[in-house]
Amino acid sequence: MDTATAFTSDHEGDHWVPVSPRLVTARRIVLVTSLVPMTVIVLGVLTLLGVIAWVSVVIAVAALIGLLWGWWLIGRRVRSYAYCERGDDLLVSSGILFRRLVIVPYGRMQLVDVKAGPIDRALGVTTVQLHTAAATTDASIPGLEPQVAADLRDRLARLGETRSAGL
Amino acid sequence: MTDPARHTPREDNSPTPEGVDSSSRVPSSSSVPSSSIGDDLGLGITVPGRRLIDAEGHRKVHPISPLVHAVSVFPALAGIAFAVGIQRINTLAGRLDDIIGMAWMPPIALAIVVFAVIAFLLSALVAALNYFQWRALSFWFDDDGDFRMQSGVLFRQQRRVQLSRIQTVDVTQPFAARLFSMAVVVIEVAGQDDSRVRLKYVTLDDAREIRREVLARSAGLSATTAEAPQSDIARVSGRHLAVSLALRMTTAGLLLLTVIIIVTSYLTGGWGAIGVAVVTGGIPLVLVVAEFIRYYGFTVAESPDGLRLRYGLLRTESRTVPPGRVQAIEYVEPLLWRRQRWTRIRVTIAGVGSESSGSGSQRSDTVLIPVSEMDAAQDIVSRVLPDLRASSITWVGAPRRAWWRSPIQWRNLAVGWDAHSFAIRRGRITRRTALVPHARTQSVRWTQGPWERFLDLASVHVDTTPGPVSVSGLHLDASATRTVAHLQAAAADRGRRTDTSLHWAAP
Repeated sequence: MDTATAFTSDHEGDHWVPVSPRLVTARRIVLVTSLVPMTVIVLGVLTLLGVIAWVSVVIAVAALIGLLWGWWLIGRRVRSYAYCERGDDLLVSSGILFRRLVIVPYGRMQLVDVKAGPIDRALGVTTVQLHTAAATTDASIPGLEPQVAADLRDRLARLGETRSAGL
Repeated sequence: MTDPARHTPREDNSPTPEGVDSSSRVPSSSSVPSSSIGDDLGLGITVPGRRLIDAEGHRKVHPISPLVHAVSVFPALAGIAFAVGIQRINTLAGRLDDIIGMAWMPPIALAIVVFAVIAFLLSALVAALNYFQWRALSFWFDDDGDFRMQSGVLFRQQRRVQLSRIQTVDVTQPFAARLFSMAVVVIEVAGQDDSRVRLKYVTLDDAREIRREVLARSAGLSATTAEAPQSDIARVSGRHLAVSLALRMTTAGLLLLTVIIIVTSYLTGGWGAIGVAVVTGGIPLVLVVAEFIRYYGFTVAESPDGLRLRYGLLRTESRTVPPGRVQAIEYVEPLLWRRQRWTRIRVTIAGVGSESSGSGSQRSDTVLIPVSEMDAAQDIVSRVLPDLRASSITWVGAPRRAWWRSPIQWRNLAVGWDAHSFAIRRGRITRRTALVPHARTQSVRWTQGPWERFLDLASVHVDTTPGPVSVSGLHLDASATRTVAHLQAAAADRGRRTDTSLHWAAP
């Protein structure tokens, strides 16, 4: 592979697959169900302690801004996830502020995890995570439909097996 | 090749009284006396009972192990007893004086004796508990030739070590063990968490013998193959080590700060800051002394099993670095070393750096040589990674605009590669050059933070197995790093198909 094709094959020639938009819903549910009760508890405690009212107002406004910002951020973050299966390796790209691209040669994969929490399961989104012998690899693809995830795992496992070698 | 009987646990090891005569029984040590690690403290304590065999034909560690264990915990226990008692020592001394007052002994000394006795009794308890552990512990080679260890009093545990997965076999001598001419054999296996096997304690000769046998078997040779001959290729003198440690940047900086504080205090006549000077002077002293004790007498020897490293003043360690297991190496060159072209080499070895707690953190800092001249260092590196050629690497430096991201180190930031390996360079004050063979690349990461994006910069990281060497090419031209990432992934895939270094021991 020469320099020119290596560069252009990124994002252009290859088939990049985005993740399911339902991941946005799943993550927003987690955001709301964690932030709202926490704010309510904090405000309740402050009221009971008789802290000056404007402190509570500031906290409530901050929580609201955090909620809106998180709401918006989740939408953008999920859109930033994409993966691409190439001939010899798998690419995973993610992040808006801190962008990253992970390239894992199939022969280096040690195991492939498929996991889903309760909310994820209810909404039908699954995470596929790749592990290599390096702890820093960190290639996980969240928000796949269960069937897509299972197929991907099987495909990856097969590719990994045929190409695998020692460390 | 050999007769099959030789594969079972060796039968000539019965606990005969002639075990006292230790030097003549080990087949290898007579021909290769230089293979001795460190040396014991020469107290001449030799205890009969080497190579015990239990009813099932399994080998046991040395019967005085519980005693060695007790001696090794004694200082800690005495320290705790003392720390607990020191605040109440006066009342305690007074009370003791009332009960068993003796005219010829001051009460304080009596209290100290009592602490010592308590610590001694606790150590005896440790020894007693350890005795049961000793009874339960046995090890042997099973019919498949794999190493097995059985241990545990309440929870029986049997561990099987696949010899093909062995990373290194080390012989270490903790200080307490050195008093008894004993040693610990540590068998390091590729795997998660606590996958190493420790045999505590065996005589030094036994330890060498076990290491020889395990290494011979793991290399697929006959169990009775004599220990590989070895020759020393580098040795760090005490003076060289001490000077190099003092010239390291953090140490040198703190020492300089200490001098400045003392001088200004003297000139201004205000001694208020002198307490700070004690700290800034004390920290480097402790660091230097600790590392000096650890790496004292560092010797690198070459043997067909790999490089043998021996070091330690109080606690002697010996480790074998099989060349095929080295994942990445790094040259560390602090500013004040560069004039003399000195360098330290650190390596990531598969399976060794994966443990980060307890004694593991000590081991994860895997030093191939603590300080050496550059040429000698490259000679050592060429023995673990023969294809590595630092000179043939093409470097691409960071663009000038990287100054806005890293004003100090940008001049030294670079990535480079050749047909065999990928390399990065970073750090201005302490320069680090890391190299990883393409065949050892696990995955490639490309990252870009907001500030990097604004400057059209990005970083490229090559992931290897966990270890001290991190291979990150920082703050380089964004599109160039993107290209590098893709090329490196392709090179990794190619590299491992043509890689033969895993079978370094094969004929």
